[in-house]
Amino acid sequence: MEGNIELLKGAIALIGYGLGAVGPGIGIGIIAGNAISAMARQPEMQGTIRTTMFLGIALTEALALIGFVLFFIASA
Amino acid sequence: MILATECDVVNEVICAPAKVTDLFEFDTWFTVGGLEFTRTTFLMLLAALVTIAVLYFGLRNRRLVPSKFDAAVEGLVGFVRDDIGRDIIGPDSRKYLPYLLSIFLFILVGNLFEVTPLINFPITSRMAIPLFLALVTYVIFMFLGFKKNKLRYLIDTAWPKHVPLGLRWLVGLIELVSIFFLRPITLAIRLFANLVAGHLLLTLLLGSAVIFIASVGEIGAKSLIAVPWLALGLFMFVLELLVSALQAYIFTLLTAVYIESSINFEH
Repeated sequence: MEGNIELLKGAIALIGYGLGAVGPGIGIGIIAGNAISAMARQPEMQGTIRTTMFLGIALTEALALIGFVLFFIASA
Repeated sequence: MILATECDVVNEVICAPAKVTDLFEFDTWFTVGGLEFTRTTFLMLLAALVTIAVLYFGLRNRRLVPSKFDAAVEGLVGFVRDDIGRDIIGPDSRKYLPYLLSIFLFILVGNLFEVTPLINFPITSRMAIPLFLALVTYVIFMFLGFKKNKLRYLIDTAWPKHVPLGLRWLVGLIELVSIFFLRPITLAIRLFANLVAGHLLLTLLLGSAVIFIASVGEIGAKSLIAVPWLALGLFMFVLELLVSALQAYIFTLLTAVYIESSINFEH
């Protein structure tokens, strides 16, 4: 039990994923916030803004998702 | 119930299977010429059949006043045609509409299997299916890029002329890796990871709730722990409906964006 680094593998992977989720979290927040203020200023552009917002979110989210998959690979 | 029922209800607070993969792998039912038929295989065929049936029965009779079902299918087709195809790709989006519509409906049906009673398994949480769909998209936009721009597609990506010389190699390298390598991978992983996360959450929360409620005679007041799991599980259930539709939309949207960026490749 003592000094067995194997037991920590899952926990370390979890911390790594948590760190990896910080950046995309901030990024998605910025995207959604700016999209809302854009929609509030120009409600007639809502459709285009929403499409672009989803696009931006999808591209930003990719980093967090890669982290999620790597978490399972690392902790397996 | 897919979740293993040999849960230690006395000592555990949530019922998790010994291995995560237990929730996603099923026993082989039978083998035909090296192809193993599992529950996932049949659900995949079912998803394809549902997609075909919805389109066939929805658009079979073109009446002056469409029935409710017809109007709903028309709305879906119109959404893919206008909001995804026309807005992103532009005037010649009609050529790509069949592909966009089929992947949108197939992924939507496959994702909604997650919250369908008695099925409760999103086929898109098995990597083979998103990966294959992403590879088809990859082949299509690579083919279009090289067909419209010949070798300039590769050369201008790796050596963009509009970027200052000092940064050109770096931007070129990033663009090259991102377009030719990361695009199909992230496209597949985005769909896969979202559905895996959703399926895991729903199975753990609702499965634990069911097991704790069922073993009320054995553990007494401790089975109250099922209440937060049930509440959270039902909340996630509604959220997963949204995620299913959103991920199908995003996959189709990104496919359209990639096709558009291959056609209008100009720097």
